[in-house]
Amino acid sequence: MTELKQSMQIAHARLKKRRAAEARFKYFGVAALSFAFLCVATLFTNIISNGYSGFQQTYVEIDITFDEAVIDPSGQRDSAVIHSADYKALIKASMRNKFPDVSKRRELRDLYGFVSSGAIYELRDMVINDPSLIGKTQKIWVMASDEVDMLIKDVFKRSEPESTRPVSNQEISWIEAFEGEKRIEKRFNINFFQAGDSREPEQAGIRGALVGSALTMLVTLALSFPCGVMAAIYLEEFAPKNKFTYLVEVNINNLAAVPSIVFGLLGLAIFLNLFGMPRSAPVAGGVVLALMTLPTIIIASRAALKAVPPSIMEAAIGVGASKMQAVFHHQLPLAMPGILTGTIIGMAQALGETAPLLMIGMVAFIADVPGTPVDPATVLPVQVYLWADSPERAFVEKTSAAIMVLLAFLITMNALAVMLRKKLEKRW
Amino acid sequence: MDMKTINMDANSSVIDKTGDVSLSTVSSLNIPAVDVKIAAKDVRVRYGSKEALFGINLDIPKSKVTSFIGPSGCGKSTFLRCINRMNDTIDSCVVRGAIEMDGVDVLNKSVDTVLLRAKIGMVFQKPNPFPKSIYDNVAYGPRLHGLASNKDELDQIVISSLEKVGLIKEVKDRLNEAGTGLSGGQQQRLCIARAIAVNPEVLLMDEPCSALDPIATAKIEELIDELRGAYTIVIVTHSMQQAARVSQNTAFFHLGNLVEYGETEQIFTSPIDERTKGYITGRFG
Repeated sequence: MTELKQSMQIAHARLKKRRAAEARFKYFGVAALSFAFLCVATLFTNIISNGYSGFQQTYVEIDITFDEAVIDPSGQRDSAVIHSADYKALIKASMRNKFPDVSKRRELRDLYGFVSSGAIYELRDMVINDPSLIGKTQKIWVMASDEVDMLIKDVFKRSEPESTRPVSNQEISWIEAFEGEKRIEKRFNINFFQAGDSREPEQAGIRGALVGSALTMLVTLALSFPCGVMAAIYLEEFAPKNKFTYLVEVNINNLAAVPSIVFGLLGLAIFLNLFGMPRSAPVAGGVVLALMTLPTIIIASRAALKAVPPSIMEAAIGVGASKMQAVFHHQLPLAMPGILTGTIIGMAQALGETAPLLMIGMVAFIADVPGTPVDPATVLPVQVYLWADSPERAFVEKTSAAIMVLLAFLITMNALAVMLRKKLEKRW
Repeated sequence: MDMKTINMDANSSVIDKTGDVSLSTVSSLNIPAVDVKIAAKDVRVRYGSKEALFGINLDIPKSKVTSFIGPSGCGKSTFLRCINRMNDTIDSCVVRGAIEMDGVDVLNKSVDTVLLRAKIGMVFQKPNPFPKSIYDNVAYGPRLHGLASNKDELDQIVISSLEKVGLIKEVKDRLNEAGTGLSGGQQQRLCIARAIAVNPEVLLMDEPCSALDPIATAKIEELIDELRGAYTIVIVTHSMQQAARVSQNTAFFHLGNLVEYGETEQIFTSPIDERTKGYITGRFG
């Protein structure tokens, strides 16, 4: 009787210990999850709080007199003359008119730099589109310079002493003058999505990088998806199981772990130097990233093919399908959700890759939006890297804004992967 | 066919009187005076270095049900899969000997497996319909082999195949629904319909009822009985009652050897070999 009681007590104690261990494990899990969530939240808060203002831009309204003597002294409306006229002079005249008491060289330089240097192209395009403007005076909204922009966005504080503030008291007085007339305001920065890179933060846009990324991804997808899926099918279903295929398999798995910069060096040595592919071009970047993505796609595809029940293959072969028919009619369609998920994850990885592209020159400063895969281009993560490296304060928000665009891209791609999976998934 | 004509060739009896089963012992227990559909001659199979079948000699009669019984791992499924060359899909599997169907050795490399499998249909242990519609499941074989020249003919084949397996009443309103949505027994009958849609001469069934409940099993057995006249049926089963119910001939396999082969009634009532007796009385296996 007492023995039974004792053994029951021991069992009870053990049970208690087991429950405690279980509870502990659960708490660790919750703690790990909370920590991860906190990190993500911090990251997102930081990026969004830094970056949201990047989608806004300060504009000022100035009175521009399209002086015929400046734009077209001969009066012949020759487009070449109009095109190369000194529009900067129009802006200078306008600013001098508005603040006539500024006379010192230094102060004048600040005054002339009040509006963005890109405003002259806006004026030029206006005149080219409508030459009848010449001789008239118009109120025109133009971009303010990045320093004015930073002050309006309260990044540079007016309360700071002048010595530590990049904007002088005098410039602030000019801003206040515009503010008094309600001729300065923040607007949605459409230029950010329309322009390529620029040395001037207010003119810099992400379109070049977006198009570059899209072209690069296209090349990567076109190369790595068919090659990867075919290689997976061959290795999984057709290849003889011998030492050679084993070696290939091991190397594919190893390749997935090779640092990406090595692929960049390979691209530089083989594709650029040996094959003479264009430097800085999406086609070269795409090929390099395709090499990097291939192992991911092959491994994911093989896993997906392996997960298809062999009974389906047997059924197809049993009614007289050839091996290839069985694979392409049944196994491949059933493996497709897994293959697509793997591919999209590989592509997302490639989209965020910077290091290999540095090696093949996609880090160059390229202001033009690329039109074809052989034009020089840059990609989103490299653009982020470039802007993060720039000294101007206004590039901080641009950097964060670019990261937001990149993240939006990645989240969209991953959402697509989940959706495809849900849609194509079949149960058996 | 009068089964009394079955006789045993005493010279090549499997029962090694010394009790020692040597590789050279050829088990040849044939059923003469019967229309032979498939004749196996000294079929040996090994997976890599592991021998699975040690020389099987066996004649399968036409338009009859022949069942293979034996404990797990005895090689009955392996032998079944040799008949339609399903073992070709296993790299390490080596098959030697000859299996003649209507006088043609199906193991010969020159035989096209695609055509062979159109003539020898197969039904598997677990119902394995394609995750497609019921219609597409049945139509897959005919489409592969180009048996129908137009949609109407294909419809005809699908309907008649489903009729033959007694499934048409249950599914005629939902031919476009997934075959995987049917119950287990219905799925297995769908698989049989898929196999007979290509008009085979032989049907191989590898434990077709082992994943089914007794009611579905009874339906499949009934179906096997109905199909018997039109097809030569070979069924592997773990259930001796099933072998007794559906088959006319029974072969007992043990450890890669064909131990005894004969009329089902004889095997179950007066087995010659001790091992057969032991197995059917449940002493081992």
